[in-house]
Amino acid sequence: MIEGIMIGLGTALTLQNLLFVMMGCLVGTFIGMLPGLGPMSAIALMIPIAASLDPSAGIILMAAVYYGAIFGGSTSSILINAPGVASTVATSFDGYPMAKQGKAGKALAIAAYSSFSGGVIAALFLLVAAPFLASVSLSFQSTDYFALMVLGLVAVSAFAGKGDMIKALLMTVIGLMLSTVGTDQTQGVPRFTLGIIDLIDGISFLLLVMATFALSEALMAILRPKGDADRQKEKEASENLGSMKVSRAEVREMAPVIGRSSVLGFLIGVLPGAGATIASFLAYGTEQRIAGPKKGAEFGKGSIRGLSAPETANNAAATGSFVPLLTLGIPGSGTTAIMLGALIGYGIQPGPRLYVDQPEIFWSVIVSMWIGNIILLVLNLPLIPYIAKVLAIPSRFLLPLILFFSLIGVYFVSFNTFDIQLMVIFAVAAVILRVLDFPMAPMILGFILGGMMEENLRRALLINNGSWSFLWERPLTVTILAIAAACLLLPFLTGWLRRVKDRAYEKTSSSGD
Amino acid sequence: MMLSKDRIGGVLLLLFCLIYAWLSQDIRLLPFQERAAFHARTMPEILSILGIGLALWTIILPGKSERPELGGADWLKAGLFLVLMSAYGFTVRPLGFILSTSLFLMIGYALLGERKLVPLVLASVPLVVAFWVLMTQGLDVFIEPWPGFLRE
Repeated sequence: MIEGIMIGLGTALTLQNLLFVMMGCLVGTFIGMLPGLGPMSAIALMIPIAASLDPSAGIILMAAVYYGAIFGGSTSSILINAPGVASTVATSFDGYPMAKQGKAGKALAIAAYSSFSGGVIAALFLLVAAPFLASVSLSFQSTDYFALMVLGLVAVSAFAGKGDMIKALLMTVIGLMLSTVGTDQTQGVPRFTLGIIDLIDGISFLLLVMATFALSEALMAILRPKGDADRQKEKEASENLGSMKVSRAEVREMAPVIGRSSVLGFLIGVLPGAGATIASFLAYGTEQRIAGPKKGAEFGKGSIRGLSAPETANNAAATGSFVPLLTLGIPGSGTTAIMLGALIGYGIQPGPRLYVDQPEIFWSVIVSMWIGNIILLVLNLPLIPYIAKVLAIPSRFLLPLILFFSLIGVYFVSFNTFDIQLMVIFAVAAVILRVLDFPMAPMILGFILGGMMEENLRRALLINNGSWSFLWERPLTVTILAIAAACLLLPFLTGWLRRVKDRAYEKTSSSGD
Repeated sequence: MMLSKDRIGGVLLLLFCLIYAWLSQDIRLLPFQERAAFHARTMPEILSILGIGLALWTIILPGKSERPELGGADWLKAGLFLVLMSAYGFTVRPLGFILSTSLFLMIGYALLGERKLVPLVLASVPLVVAFWVLMTQGLDVFIEPWPGFLRE
């Protein structure tokens, strides 16, 4: 492991890569702060630049953008109560009340220290967990990989929330369908190309991500513009931040919260599909319960613990989500799915072989997480008063610029104007589906895993002489599929149990009357 | 049957899945491939069944009965932006990067309410030129800056 860390340090600490980490953190914070644009859009916007770099530098840049964007999202949650992404919603519960009390600077500093600690502690766990899991998963076969991908896709949908699971599953299938467009990988037969030569190579994942996230976010903002009051609020928030100092007593109060939330966040992040949002809410709820009645009552009114817990947990979970990506090649979240797409673009197949064949990439990503977190704290925190000025840029200038960067980002990769037209079509579809509350992240996950899933299923059938019996004969495959089935059934089971409980309660209360 | 968000989305995606299923039968297979356990149609056929099943589920048993809120949204402006993006795709080559992008940005700013000519020009032309310099000089990505009639 020491050797690996040295390899990682050697790669990540070059002047060029350090500059990329700095740039990534700054750009990520900047984009993450923009209303509506989260880490997924931020990484997608950076892919055209990352594509021109060597794989290590590209991945380091994207990881830095990821952290920066999460931090940026927290900033807009605290300052204007507008979480750019779901994972920073819990941050606004106590961060925004603090800002309203004139303690915006302090809230930002607490968020930064918590994010930093969560990220660093989780990176330490990653250092231990990733090589272990990678060595275990070396014994995995295509059948197990196929089952793991099913689990990954099902888990993302299962965590989508009450009433949304079927919609999320449907969107996953739509993503898988889109991944089959283009020439079939094994038999060379064109599929769903409609006779259009530009579709022979399939749909570019960058195009799909940009159209369904960045473009559709900007179009949604055009559809439902903000009122004057909101704009005034953003302008005022970016001007008055107050002091950023955190007292010793406040640090003492934060420390145990950070410890607990780091562990919780990392463990949740490792689970495919759970991710930073669930981690942040769970950490918030847990800390509120632990705080007791007196301190617990302060939650939602500007509690330091209430701000520190979700901030620590979402960053720890972001780090944890790299475990399945780096060791199994299965992205645990929409953001890591985009990163997987970028890695595949480099010709790198993440999975247990990455640890053996390209240790410099594996370790440099882990080491760059530490460096990224340090830079976020040292560089971004003092710059926050200046970066926050982005909130004052009028949306009439911001939105056309976001559209331009999205379009040109895709065009600069392919130099094919057909891609711009295809983006417009996908953006229309994405806006309609967003208006109807259909989630986009499962579709992206399905799209990225589609090709690999088909390939692993084909191989599994080939190994088993065309028999589907591997689905119930190989113990590891069966176990993984059983977990996937449990993920699917759990929401129905809990719903049914709740209904039974409610009915029993109604009966007892009516008999009591 | 109430037209909820889930049901409308379900119907639209059912249509998509049906078209996908229909097109999947157009995938050409060689005679020996038809009897193989896995061929180019296998995955699309499995996905078609799954997609149609889930879309029907969404229509018959929607999770939420919320109706779509179409009022208050500026559909015309969003539509104009879609036309603008499409037009940008058609003009970026013949007009060159600098002219087409500057026009795209200026029209975009104007559509969102900026009426003064000076901010329109200052927030587009210098930015586009700077971006072009960064891409061509910094990242070695060349893109034709000038319109066709000005090229040699």
